[in-house]
Amino acid sequence: MNRALLIARREYGAYARTVGFWLSLLALPFFAGIGGGMAYLVERGDPVRNVAFVEAETAERPMTPAVLDALALEQRKSIAQSIRSAAVTEAGPQEAERLRSLALQEGTEPALAEMRRVAPRAAAGFSAPDQDVRVVDAPEAITSATGEARIEAVRAALASEAEPQLDAIALLGRDAAGAPSAELWVRKASDREAEFAVRDALIEVNRRESLERAGVDPGLVSGLELFRPDLQSFSPSSASGAEVSFRDQLPGIIGLAIGFLLWSLVITGASILMNSVMEEKASKVLEVLLSSASTTEIMVGKVLGVAMLTLTVLAAYAVMGIVALTSFQPQVLADVGSVLMEGGLLIYLLIYLVGGYLLYAVIFTAIGAFCETPRDAQTLMGPIMMVLIVPLLVMQLAVRTPDAPLVKILSLVPPFTPFLMSARAPSQPPLIEHVGAIGGMALLIVLAIWLSGRAFRAGALSDVKLSWKSLGSVVRGGN
Amino acid sequence: MPALVLDDVSKRYGAFQAVRDLSFQVEPGTICGFLGPNGAGKTSTIRMMLGLQPASSGRIEILGADDGRKVRDRIGFLPEERGVYKKMTPVDTIAFFAGLKGVPTGEGRKRARALLDAHGLGASKTKKMKALSKGMAQKVQLLASIAHQPEFVILDEPFSGLDPVNQQGLEQIIRDLAAGGATVLFSTHVMQHAERLCDKVVLLARGQKAFEGTVTEARARSTRFLELEGALEQAAVAALPGVASVDAVGEGEGGAKFRAALAPGAEAQAALRSAFISGLDVRRFEMREPTLHDAFIDLTGDDPDQDQRQTEIRAEEAAR
Repeated sequence: MNRALLIARREYGAYARTVGFWLSLLALPFFAGIGGGMAYLVERGDPVRNVAFVEAETAERPMTPAVLDALALEQRKSIAQSIRSAAVTEAGPQEAERLRSLALQEGTEPALAEMRRVAPRAAAGFSAPDQDVRVVDAPEAITSATGEARIEAVRAALASEAEPQLDAIALLGRDAAGAPSAELWVRKASDREAEFAVRDALIEVNRRESLERAGVDPGLVSGLELFRPDLQSFSPSSASGAEVSFRDQLPGIIGLAIGFLLWSLVITGASILMNSVMEEKASKVLEVLLSSASTTEIMVGKVLGVAMLTLTVLAAYAVMGIVALTSFQPQVLADVGSVLMEGGLLIYLLIYLVGGYLLYAVIFTAIGAFCETPRDAQTLMGPIMMVLIVPLLVMQLAVRTPDAPLVKILSLVPPFTPFLMSARAPSQPPLIEHVGAIGGMALLIVLAIWLSGRAFRAGALSDVKLSWKSLGSVVRGGN
Repeated sequence: MPALVLDDVSKRYGAFQAVRDLSFQVEPGTICGFLGPNGAGKTSTIRMMLGLQPASSGRIEILGADDGRKVRDRIGFLPEERGVYKKMTPVDTIAFFAGLKGVPTGEGRKRARALLDAHGLGASKTKKMKALSKGMAQKVQLLASIAHQPEFVILDEPFSGLDPVNQQGLEQIIRDLAAGGATVLFSTHVMQHAERLCDKVVLLARGQKAFEGTVTEARARSTRFLELEGALEQAAVAALPGVASVDAVGEGEGGAKFRAALAPGAEAQAALRSAFISGLDVRRFEMREPTLHDAFIDLTGDDPDQDQRQTEIRAEEAAR
């Protein structure tokens, strides 16, 4: 066993001591941070367009106040949605929806005051999204001019560098049917933000005018549109035993995350193992190792070394996640903890994680023993990758509908068990299914270890490429 | 008790017979040369000794065990094709492989430093293996195979790829190991090393043993030659006592040159004495004792260097 540990330590050190390992370890959170940050910067970095509205020369009644009302309503909807999104994890979906309704019906300030009460952390970090357009007064040179002179004044205003710079000027009017229309002049031909805002505003104005003409109070219609029913979901299987909350969605999210995590760990860990063995075979170190340790010790050492490596990655991500959740969403952290402890879920997940890694690690190690170059490995990897694609495709269904017959059957097929049962486990499938799945997986692992051990020994010392013929020879015990 | 016993050992790979009915013994504390051209079955036999491959038939006993794997901590092994972890330092490399043989890490590192210092690699202790020359890396690998102070050292073609200075250094290491009580078995197709080092040689050709014994015994199995030069007739040379056959080998400075093969047990002095008494005009003579290389060719019909030369010719052709 000492030899296995020594090999494991060397294997671990060979990768953990490299700069590349730490760079790749930090790459995921770094790029996740960059990605999130970039989205925020793009949203915040988009400048507000200054738009001026000019009434038509022949307008019988001004349209500008209605357009400004429509723009304000749009802005309020956008802020209300942001409040809901910010509050949902801390306050739950029902409270978040209530905050949105409050923002729509009573305005941003009352909604924020309530948010500070029900979701104080989210409220502390909340900032309202910038509006897309800012309405500014049209220059007098435009409003006082008519005909071609007005157009010339518009051109001059859009070319002017004087502050505040105008990004767009909407010349409001009406079409032949009397519906609101506009001639929009923009500073940059490629900029369509003002166009979207003005179009939405004109649609709203037209809607209100049409309702008024039909004798319906537009305020009543707005009120109806903004109404959000106070809907609460209940389930006897919810965490509270009654009301459904975000806590009840966590098992699905955790299942999906664990399933994908296991999948990526298997792919990266097993690939590292395969490459390591390939390198040792090509450099002839494997023969020296075989003269110093048994096949089992070498395989165990390697599998253990890379397992420690993947656990290092896992632990680093777990620590980062815990720190982030403790800082921003402590309630979510507590909920994740309670989900993992419920019904022995953590134990099941560990069994599937270890089982899945072991199953594919020994297979990939044996493949490595028959190959000296990645090209050699490609043909052998093909069928295994095809097997590994199946759980990836079914995993989302396993989370949404863990009891679907297809999911149930596939999760009991041993090569898919680690991934699909990990995804299903948070939804508490019956114990008998766990037992059956773990039993089948264990049998396959024993078979894989036995077969891979033979293949490893045969492949490590021969120049024979792995094929169905050579595999048959290995199974029969030939050399 | 012999350190190594092979009894009727055979190895087949499918239809190919790599080793056939091979039997020999190696006594403790001796140096044994395992000689043969490339493809003779040396590496297969060594792998069977180590337990890396099972024998198809026959019995192998090494250090009293029926399987090399049971006594692997007491064996040191240097494979034919060298390989090291390129990113490790020589100290780490030696300590790691010594560790696999049961030497604690601290002690392994101590021994590694001492061995590297003793063999002129002290300045390279902390360099990565990839920064070392091929010869230096080979030396490190050899040191890694003996750092655990094994009782039995098996070296597969240890001289291959080394320059003459390093070959001399390696010969000294082998002598020192034997002087320290270890049994050394090394394979080679270069007979000169075996001639200088071995207490015993086993000659292998096409998977079969052609000879087992001392270097002197091997040479004695080969024909000795007496070379004569002068105004001589071939028939007169052939008539000398103890001469079995004569070949004319051209003209020398003193006249015609003849190569006379002596019959087994015949004395060269008797033939020379007879030549002078009978008044033959001998202007130059030389007694040619057979080398191990000659003995190998006589005993096996193979040239141990032939495969190597063919390999070199192929390499040169490929390079052109």
